[in-house]
Amino acid sequence: MDLISEKMRCSVVGIAGLGGLGSNVAIALARADIGRLIVADFDKVEKGNLNRQQYFIDQIGKSKVDCMIENIGRINPDVRVEGHQVKLSADNIPSVFADADVIAECFDLAREKQMIVETVLTKMQRAIIVSVSGLAGYGKSNEIQTRRISPRFILIGDGQSGVDTCKILTAPRVAVAAAHQANAIVELIVEKIVK
Amino acid sequence: MDTLKINGQEKQFPTGKFPVTLADLLGQLGVEAATVVAELDGQIIEREKFAQTELHSEQNIELVRFVPGG
Repeated sequence: MDLISEKMRCSVVGIAGLGGLGSNVAIALARADIGRLIVADFDKVEKGNLNRQQYFIDQIGKSKVDCMIENIGRINPDVRVEGHQVKLSADNIPSVFADADVIAECFDLAREKQMIVETVLTKMQRAIIVSVSGLAGYGKSNEIQTRRISPRFILIGDGQSGVDTCKILTAPRVAVAAAHQANAIVELIVEKIVK
Repeated sequence: MDTLKINGQEKQFPTGKFPVTLADLLGQLGVEAATVVAELDGQIIEREKFAQTELHSEQNIELVRFVPGG
């Protein structure tokens, strides 16, 4: 096994939220042969999710956590996926993601994005948070950027396109942001995290 | 004149307008605190401490504002 594959196999990534961002990040990392994923979401798959989230018609009504475990199993059964059907909060994030080297923030609401970034940076010692702000609308692919704010905080997005002002989330632009997230995580695993 | 470096850009404050706390600065900028992660001289400041965190001239502030969507 080459060094990159070896580092991917022995790394643990947490995914907070399995909507448009989280479902795309999970599948990208599964295809990149990540060793272990810890996925958390409280929600069920709805018909309206299928315009951008990685689920199928016959999964409507089922828990997103169960569906994502099933879908990853069909893509790469070597990935260990640990599911948490839970509403994440400042109280349970440190324990749910205790083993994670990197955590992908994949929430929808601005105040929840704030909450998890603050929680990881103040209540956890080691994990790196990769968060997203500004991915709504369409086009402007090159305005979505990856920036390192501080040693344990990476921020992706254009910083301004909220679903409140842009009114629409589209599969391609959400996927651009999710691919930035997954790509930043692979880079961290290969180049930054020492095991 | 008192200054703060905000997201890498120097901002000058006329006499009497320098924000006393981090919460005051966010108020001046018209930014809702619930959507902001703040680092002051490289140190993360918890949101509930914004109103007690006093600012001093020439400090370096990173403000990350979150917009919804995921």
